[in-house]
Amino acid sequence: MIRFDSVTKRYPGGHDALQNLNLEIAEGEMVFLAGHSGAGKSTLLKLIAAIERPTSGSVLVNNQNVGKMRRGAVPYLRRNIGLIFQDHKLLFDRSVIQNVLLPLQIAGFSRHDAASRARAALDKVGLLKREKANPITLSGGEQQRLCIARAVVSRPALLLADEPTGNLDAQYARDIMDMFKAFNQVGVTLVIASHDEDAIRTYAGRVLHLDHGVLQS
Amino acid sequence: MKTWLSHHRQAIVATLARMAQTPFATVFAVIAIGVALSLPAVLYVLLNNAARLAGTLPAQPEISVYMRMDATNAQINDLRQRLKARTDLADFRFVPRDTALVELSKQAGVADISAGLTQNPLPDAWVLTPRKAQPENITRIATALQALPYIDTVKQDSQWAQRLNALLDLGHDFVMLLAVLLGAALVAVSGNTIRLQILTRRAEIEVSQLIGATHRYIRRPFLYFGVLQGLFGGLAAWLVVAVSIDLLDRPVAELSALYHANFHLQSLGLIPGLTLLLSAMLLGGFGAYLTVTRTLFQTDAH
Repeated sequence: MIRFDSVTKRYPGGHDALQNLNLEIAEGEMVFLAGHSGAGKSTLLKLIAAIERPTSGSVLVNNQNVGKMRRGAVPYLRRNIGLIFQDHKLLFDRSVIQNVLLPLQIAGFSRHDAASRARAALDKVGLLKREKANPITLSGGEQQRLCIARAVVSRPALLLADEPTGNLDAQYARDIMDMFKAFNQVGVTLVIASHDEDAIRTYAGRVLHLDHGVLQS
Repeated sequence: MKTWLSHHRQAIVATLARMAQTPFATVFAVIAIGVALSLPAVLYVLLNNAARLAGTLPAQPEISVYMRMDATNAQINDLRQRLKARTDLADFRFVPRDTALVELSKQAGVADISAGLTQNPLPDAWVLTPRKAQPENITRIATALQALPYIDTVKQDSQWAQRLNALLDLGHDFVMLLAVLLGAALVAVSGNTIRLQILTRRAEIEVSQLIGATHRYIRRPFLYFGVLQGLFGGLAAWLVVAVSIDLLDRPVAELSALYHANFHLQSLGLIPGLTLLLSAMLLGGFGAYLTVTRTLFQTDAH
């Protein structure tokens, strides 16, 4: 599903975030990206979602070279990818359910379909009772779960999570990891960047270690 | 099609709601656009009224036709028939050379001169009043008559009409120039309000792009904002025109009554009014488009 061929990403200023990286992730896998902060985990995820483009090499997602993708095609790639951010990136000018509805509105779902799908997603993360609340009133763990609901509401085949448990205490972190496990069991491919080695060890998944932009085998 | 329509209806409703959230900013932007547009619009209306007035002036331009000194009575009758046949003449009048001399000698200071003449130096003459005052009309009549063999000179008294027309043309050019300048101002006003909108909705734009929104999707609400703002500005301009013409009409009517005429100002017609609204909407949308597109390429780049 995902394939990196000798990918190098150099940011302006000469800092190499990734160096000559080769990797392959199959459909239905659950892969952890481990490594200290600044090792290139976020950059790797950004390359998959075409938020950044490689300096050299090719990034293939579903056999599409996303590094060379036309600007106009990028939105359609992203609709098939669920993105989960450490800082959640929620919109505080609208309610919880409105946040979850956003990807469906963008994809052009009818209002009726969108509402029932959004409720289902909220139910899955245990936030259905808070659908009318403003996200700012939610706790950190709830905000992260809302972010997950927004990522999975359009049922993407691929979920990318950047430090999803970074700011959470152990109990919340475990909840969220269990949720990911459940998504994986229904066939969703997951790539999770985390520096939380304990959490990673608990789950039997492939672990890729990054060190200063180089993949350790 | 139904979803597409409901999308657009939702977008309009959402835009109106957003405008209502910041009533002061909206009203100020609408006033700025309205005043900017009303200036060329009022001038346009006044100019059209001036042109209308010029076309209906009672003092019609005249054409003087002088026959050759040796013209015969038969030729005079021939010309009379020809002039009668012309449909573009409102009136014509024959001035026989003898009558002309008598009238001339009546004028102060000329009597002495005419007394010393041994023979009448004046030719038979005609004074024609064209039905329409346009210079090209007058020139056409003059050229046709000049071609006749027994006619010596045709004098068009159309210079003032040409001058007035040139002046009106100049006025139209000025209105056009003003409209272009203030149209550019409208684009700037619209672009600027949209820029402020974008600043407050930066997070929404960023998140939408990350979850697969196309440029078109992100641009749409801002375009609606620009177009609707332009529409309201255009309506404000139309209102300004209607009120100012209404205020000016009374004094103008009183003035024209003093000249024993009945002249009323005409306000902006339906077609020019709709043109005003349409251009305001287009320019407002254009300003919004420019600003949003610039922002989108900036957020893409990072």
